[in-house]
Amino acid sequence: MIESVLRTSRIIMDKIIEENPISDSLYKSAFIRMVKDPSTMLALTVVMIYTVTAILSALGMVATDWNLEVGTSYAAPSLEHWLGTDIFGRSVLTKVIHGTQVAMSVGFFTCLIAIPIGVLLGAIAGYFGGIVDDFVVWFYNTLSSIPSIMLIISISLIMGRGLLAVYVALGATSWVNLCRLIRAEVMKHKNREYVQAAHALGAGNARRLFRHILPNIFHIVIINTSLQFQTAIKSEVILSFLGIGVQGQPSWGTMIDDAKLELARGVWWQLFAATVAMFIIVLAFNILGDALRDALDPKIKGK
Amino acid sequence: MFLVLRSSLTWLLLIFVTASCAKKDDYSQKILYERIEQNVKGFDPIHSNDYYSSREVGKVYEGLLEFHYLKRPYTVTPNLAKEMPQVSKNGLTYTFKIIPGVLFHDDECFPGGIGRELVAEDFVYSFKRLADPKLVATGWWLFDEKIKGLNEWRNAQKDTAISDYSASIEGVKALDKYTLQFVLSKPFPQFLYGLAMSFSYVVPKEAVDKYGAEFINHPVGTGPFTLKVYSPQTNKIEYYKNKKFRDKFYPSEGEESDKANGLLADAGKKVPFLDKIVSYIMVEHNPAWLAILKGEIDEFKLPKDNLSQAITDMNGPTEELKSRGIEVVVERALDVTYSGFNTQFELFKNNPKLRQAMSHAYDAGTANELFYHNQGILAQTPIPPGIAGYDENYKNPNVGYDLEKAKKLLAEAGYPGGKGLPEITYDNLSDTLARQMAEFFSNSLAKIGVKIKPIFNTWPEMTKKIDRQSVQLFAISWIADYPDAENFLQLFYGPNASPGSNNSNFNDPAYNALFEKVSKMQDSKERTELYKKLARLGSEQLPWIFGVHRMNLRLKHSWLKNYKATEFKYGIEQYWDIDLEQKKLKKPQL
Repeated sequence: MIESVLRTSRIIMDKIIEENPISDSLYKSAFIRMVKDPSTMLALTVVMIYTVTAILSALGMVATDWNLEVGTSYAAPSLEHWLGTDIFGRSVLTKVIHGTQVAMSVGFFTCLIAIPIGVLLGAIAGYFGGIVDDFVVWFYNTLSSIPSIMLIISISLIMGRGLLAVYVALGATSWVNLCRLIRAEVMKHKNREYVQAAHALGAGNARRLFRHILPNIFHIVIINTSLQFQTAIKSEVILSFLGIGVQGQPSWGTMIDDAKLELARGVWWQLFAATVAMFIIVLAFNILGDALRDALDPKIKGK
Repeated sequence: MFLVLRSSLTWLLLIFVTASCAKKDDYSQKILYERIEQNVKGFDPIHSNDYYSSREVGKVYEGLLEFHYLKRPYTVTPNLAKEMPQVSKNGLTYTFKIIPGVLFHDDECFPGGIGRELVAEDFVYSFKRLADPKLVATGWWLFDEKIKGLNEWRNAQKDTAISDYSASIEGVKALDKYTLQFVLSKPFPQFLYGLAMSFSYVVPKEAVDKYGAEFINHPVGTGPFTLKVYSPQTNKIEYYKNKKFRDKFYPSEGEESDKANGLLADAGKKVPFLDKIVSYIMVEHNPAWLAILKGEIDEFKLPKDNLSQAITDMNGPTEELKSRGIEVVVERALDVTYSGFNTQFELFKNNPKLRQAMSHAYDAGTANELFYHNQGILAQTPIPPGIAGYDENYKNPNVGYDLEKAKKLLAEAGYPGGKGLPEITYDNLSDTLARQMAEFFSNSLAKIGVKIKPIFNTWPEMTKKIDRQSVQLFAISWIADYPDAENFLQLFYGPNASPGSNNSNFNDPAYNALFEKVSKMQDSKERTELYKKLARLGSEQLPWIFGVHRMNLRLKHSWLKNYKATEFKYGIEQYWDIDLEQKKLKKPQL
């Protein structure tokens, strides 16, 4: 009796599947949506260009000779030096490119540190609730009550100045927002039917959380990453401007800092180059973040 | 388009500024208009420890001695004292005669409102005020532990309710109405410079008693200018000529160039020349810059970061300044910048060749060009020009950019091409200029293969590291406390090692012995020669990589006469004069 019911239902299921070919996955449809939007494509292209530039620079294929004197001190932009030279006669263009490497690496490594922390803590807190949740909430509330720039300054003073300190300082302080979002989302999902079904099938906590819930909320992580990336770039510029960021190599922040002494002489190109480079990448990431949210968030989808 | 916009903006601003301080120009009196860059703390000599307050104090108050307005190197000359003091053989007792008939300004604190005559006892009173622990004078450091009995008196007053000014002190005594005697607790020839500084200026007891805590706003001195009341809220201070000022005359001797520069034209004439001084407190740079261009102020100090506003790359004044008849005056700062070796650090300790190599690799000339518009003077020893002991013709054999020599020396030191030499840390402050200079320094040394790792610090971090002797190489500067070479030479004196001021921890027995001898000597030709010898002895062993002696740029209008740049600005306005004819002619055209 039971066997025949099961057989019938399987036949019905197969038929339904046959008649309705699998609709596009969330990511595939999001991708198609984004490709259709020209401003998103432009933003994506800009990010790709910056990324490639940064990688080439990191591999030593471009802008390795940023410390080389190529002209006179403070030569104005010309055909020979497209963005002019700085106080020591070094090419501002090469410095901007090297600065791109610094900025992108800060964005990348900060995300690499902040996102696992945010996802893990948020997921655990939301899933288990109770005392675990209380502890995580207390922890990130305490952390976010400290003004972030002060915290970053103190971390980089303790660790000694330099790029590594910037990665760690920014990474360790910028996971709170993501953690909050993930926690709320996990709370929402943990009692949904598909999780209960997994539970009924005997899936343990870890499997339910990481195998079932997380993939369903991962779009939040992606959206957040693109916003986190540009925040990190801006923070690095601020830190370097204050003299506690990158040491011994050019960064957009130190270039803007240099400009403090240059503007009175009418030397504007270093400030110009660094701010424009920063402006473009931050704008691109913002557009990309918006587009990702539009495409990935099921609630906004279709509006 | 951009240019047009900018110039029209400037004009708009100019019109705005002129409209806002529109007044009918008064050419009947000699009025000096000047700018003060910071708020003034008040007019109490014992609290005048900042540059701005001390300069204002110097207009109203006076001391026994003053810095000679024209002579260089800086020397002190009698002011309220009749002549230079008699100094006892052991160098401890200084006896002064005071000019009789000097009057304090007329003020309500005196009977009938008429200023009384200055007597020696007033100085005794003023020195006790400086030492009074209840007043917490910011100038006390200058005489701390120097005058016999004064520290004891100070300690005794700490526990009393009211300080006892009647107690006599062995170190400061009025022998009679016009004779004052100081007894020092140890030889300190630089004591005389202290007497020319604003902390030791004389104040009348009557004014202090009458005004109490408000005395700081009611200056009553003997100086060339008077000020009734000062209000800390005001941004304009007006001084008037002291009509009862004693017969004091413009100096008739000076440097050789002074005559040619017209600075001796008024020699022997009675000072002050000005009828009135109007000082505007303008903290912001830009309004002050517009005011000097328009002739609203007569004199102006250019901030270090804005040198290119006034001078071109050829080091002459810009066309704009020339067309307005504004002159640029270079004012030599009494300082020296340097990169100090920690000579106790193993790598540098017994390796003079390594230090020489690094010294020759540093391109101080280009640094001067890049950072100081070529206006700095390359240092050969720590002693800056303007101080007795500076030797214009001396060239330190171990200083000077020479890459080939540097490479050779580095090889001789055991590190050919930098091989085997560890990376050297280089501590700096973290401001923009310091960062650029550190970058330049490490690039310079990289040319011979020496790897430098710049480290940037806040000021407290940096001093802490230096005090603990945990630095290897560090960039810093020294600014004179008083214009005596001793103040610079003590930077190499072994017993002064960190946390003392000898922060390169240099220690050479021969140097120490000679320093101990010279530091006790009174000013003389012989002492100056020994200063030179001592400076060479220390500098040639390279405790430092020498930088420059810096400068300030001041702008002044051509109608301001008798203007000479000086580091010691106490009361210099009494020597200044305004050429009214010239001002009347030129000012309306600005």
